[in-house]
Amino acid sequence: MDGLFSQVAVLGSSGVLLCAIVALWRHGIGAYISAFKWQSNVLAALTAAVAYFGHDYDLYWVAALMIAVKGVAIPRLLTRLAHRVGQNRESEPLVNTATSLVISGLLILLAYTAARPLQTLSAAPTRAGIPLAIGLLFVSLFVIVSRKKAITQVIGFLMLENAIALLAVLATYGVPLVVELGVFLDALMGFLVMQIVLYDIHDTFNTLDVDVLNRLKH
Amino acid sequence: METLLLFALAGPFALSAVLAALGVGDRRVVGWIIAAGRVISVGAAIALWTIAIGGSPFAPAAAGLFRVDALSALVACCVVVVGTISMALGPGTPGSGHDDPAARRKFQAYGNVFVLAMLLAVTVNNVALMWVAIEATTITSALLVPLHRSKASVEASWKYLLIGSVGIALAFAGTVLAYFDFVTITGQRQTSLGWPLLMHSAPVLDPGLLRLAFVFLLVGYGTKAGLAPMHTWLPDAHSEAPAPLSAMMSGVLLAVAQYAILRWKAVVDLTPGGAAFTNQVLLAIGLFSVLIGALSLVRQQSYKRLLAYSSVEHSGLICMGLAFGPAGVFASLLHMMNHALAKSTSFLLSGRILARYGSTDVDGVRGLVRTMPATGALFATGVLALMGLPPFGLFVSEFLLFRAGFTSGHVWETGVALVLAGIGFVGLSSHLLRMLYGATPDGVMSGERDARALAPIVVCAVALVVLGLILPEAVGALLGRIVEGMTA
Repeated sequence: MDGLFSQVAVLGSSGVLLCAIVALWRHGIGAYISAFKWQSNVLAALTAAVAYFGHDYDLYWVAALMIAVKGVAIPRLLTRLAHRVGQNRESEPLVNTATSLVISGLLILLAYTAARPLQTLSAAPTRAGIPLAIGLLFVSLFVIVSRKKAITQVIGFLMLENAIALLAVLATYGVPLVVELGVFLDALMGFLVMQIVLYDIHDTFNTLDVDVLNRLKH
Repeated sequence: METLLLFALAGPFALSAVLAALGVGDRRVVGWIIAAGRVISVGAAIALWTIAIGGSPFAPAAAGLFRVDALSALVACCVVVVGTISMALGPGTPGSGHDDPAARRKFQAYGNVFVLAMLLAVTVNNVALMWVAIEATTITSALLVPLHRSKASVEASWKYLLIGSVGIALAFAGTVLAYFDFVTITGQRQTSLGWPLLMHSAPVLDPGLLRLAFVFLLVGYGTKAGLAPMHTWLPDAHSEAPAPLSAMMSGVLLAVAQYAILRWKAVVDLTPGGAAFTNQVLLAIGLFSVLIGALSLVRQQSYKRLLAYSSVEHSGLICMGLAFGPAGVFASLLHMMNHALAKSTSFLLSGRILARYGSTDVDGVRGLVRTMPATGALFATGVLALMGLPPFGLFVSEFLLFRAGFTSGHVWETGVALVLAGIGFVGLSSHLLRMLYGATPDGVMSGERDARALAPIVVCAVALVVLGLILPEAVGALLGRIVEGMTA
C-alpha cells in the first residue's frame, strides 16, 4: 500500500512540476493560463489521493476548494483579463525559451540538494516528492523574475502558491483545515487585488509590459 | 472580561470599516460614534498594556485562538495609537488637502481593515494564522496606495503587491517547514501551532531544519519589514501612498513584521546553537539595510522618499539590535516604539506639506517655517527625532542599542553601523535645512490652516520628548517582561 502511495505522490508531484515547465516552453498567455489550470487540477487530484491513502479526510475539502478556486474561478478571471486587455503573447521574455528550460533543469537539481535534509528527516511515504515541490518553488520564482508581462508574473506567483501547497501536502499531509481555508481566502483576495491593479496598469499605461513601469527611480 | 477587552480593542475599527463601506460614514452622528470608538480602542490598548506588565500572558476564550503577552501588548498598542491618529487624519479631513468623498470612503473602509489585520497578526496564537493576517495587510494596503490614481502610484502599488506577495509566500514556506519539523519529530498533528507549544518543543526539534525555516521566514517577513535587499518596493510604495497610509505602513506595519521575526527568533534560539545562527543572520541583514538606507538618504531628492529610506535604515537598526542579546532586544523594542511615533508624525506632516506646496521634491519646498509655522516646526521635530538627536526618544534607544552592540562583543559591526548612522544624519539634516529656510516659492499661500488636525501630532511629539528625557516606569516594566518572555 505504501509503495503505491509513494508512487502516486511522485507521479503527482512530477505532473505539477511539469505543468510549470510547459508554461515556460510555450509562448501565448493562453498557454500560461491553461498550464496553471492543469497544474491546479493535478495538485487537487494529488491532494485527494493523499487524503485517501493518508486517511486525512479534511483534505478532500481542500481538494474540492482547490478545483473550484484555482482550477475554475481564477483561470476564468485570467482569461477574461487577457481578452479585455487584448494581450495574448508573452512576446519577449527576458530569458529565451531554451535557456529558460536549461535554467529550470538546474534549479530542480539544486532543489534535490536543498531538500536532502528534509527527506532524511521524514518517514512519510510521500517524501520522495518533496524535492519536486522545492523545485517548483524555485521554478516559479524564476518565472516571476524572467517574464515581462504583468499577467505572466501573476501566474508565476500563483504557481509559487501551488508549490507551497504541494510542499504542505507532501510533508505533513496539509496544514490544519482552518489555516488552509485562511490561506485560500488570502490567495483569492490577493489575486483579485492583483487583477484590479492589472486593470489599473492597463488603463493608465495602455499595456501590461512591465518595462513601462520605470518612473520611480531609487 | 479579557475577551471583551480584545473586542474593545478591535471592534471600533471593524465598526468604522463597516460604516464606511455602507456609505454612511459622512453623517454627523456617525462621526461621533466613530470618534467614541477610537477613544474606546485607545483605552483598551492602555488596559492591555497594564495587564501585560502584571505578568501572566492571558489567553481569552475562543479555544485558545488568541494570546496576548507583553510583546503583543506593546505592538498592539503602537498599532492602535498610530492607526487611530492616521485614520482620523485620512483623506477628506481638515488639512489633508483632498476632499473626494469616494476616496474618503475607500480609505476608511480598507484602512480600518488594514489596522484590524495588524491587530490580528499580533494577538493570534497560531503561527499560520499570523501569516494569513500579515498577508492580509499587503492586500488591503496595496489597494490604497493608488488612491489618487497616478502613473507613479499605480506602478508603486504593482511593485508592492508583487514583491510583498512573493516575499510573504516564502514566509509561508518557512512556516510549513517549521510545522513539518514539529509534526515529524513530536508526532502530534496540532490544529493550531501556537507560540507556547512551539517554544516548549523547540529544544527537541531538528535544529538544521528549523534554521532553514528561519531563513525563509526572515526573507519573507523581512520583505515586509523593509530589510535590504528585499526593500525595493518600500521607497516607491511609502512615497506614493496617501500620507496617512504611509504613516501606518512605515510606523507600525514594519513593527508588525519585526514582531513576526522576533517571535520566530525566540523559537529558533531554543534549539542547540540556534541563537548564534539567528544572531549572525540578523546582524548581516540588519547591517546591510542600515548601509542601503543611510547611503540612499544622501542622494534622495523627494522628502517622502527620504522618510521611506529612513525606515529602511531604522528597520535595519532594529534588526541588528535583536542580535545583541537581552539588552539589545530591550533597546530594539524601545526603538521600534519611538520610531512608530516619529515616523508616523513625519509622514502625516509630509501630507500637509505636499497639499500646500504641490511638490514632493525637497527643492520645491522652501521657507517651510515661514509658510506653515506649526507644521514646519513639528516636521522639523519629527525629522530631528529620526536623526537620533537628543532630547528625543530615538536618541536614547539608539544609544542603548549601540551600547548593547559594543558590550555584547559585536564591536566592528556596531562601529560600522554608527558611522553609517552618522552619514544618514548628515543626509537628512542637509535636506531638512533646505526645506525649512529660504524664500517661499511663488503662488504658495502662507499661514496655517485647519490647525486642529495638528493636535494629535503635538501629542506624539510630546511623547517623543518624554521618552527622550525619562524612561517611564510603565515602558521599562513592559519591555522587561518581553525580554524575560523571550528566553522562558
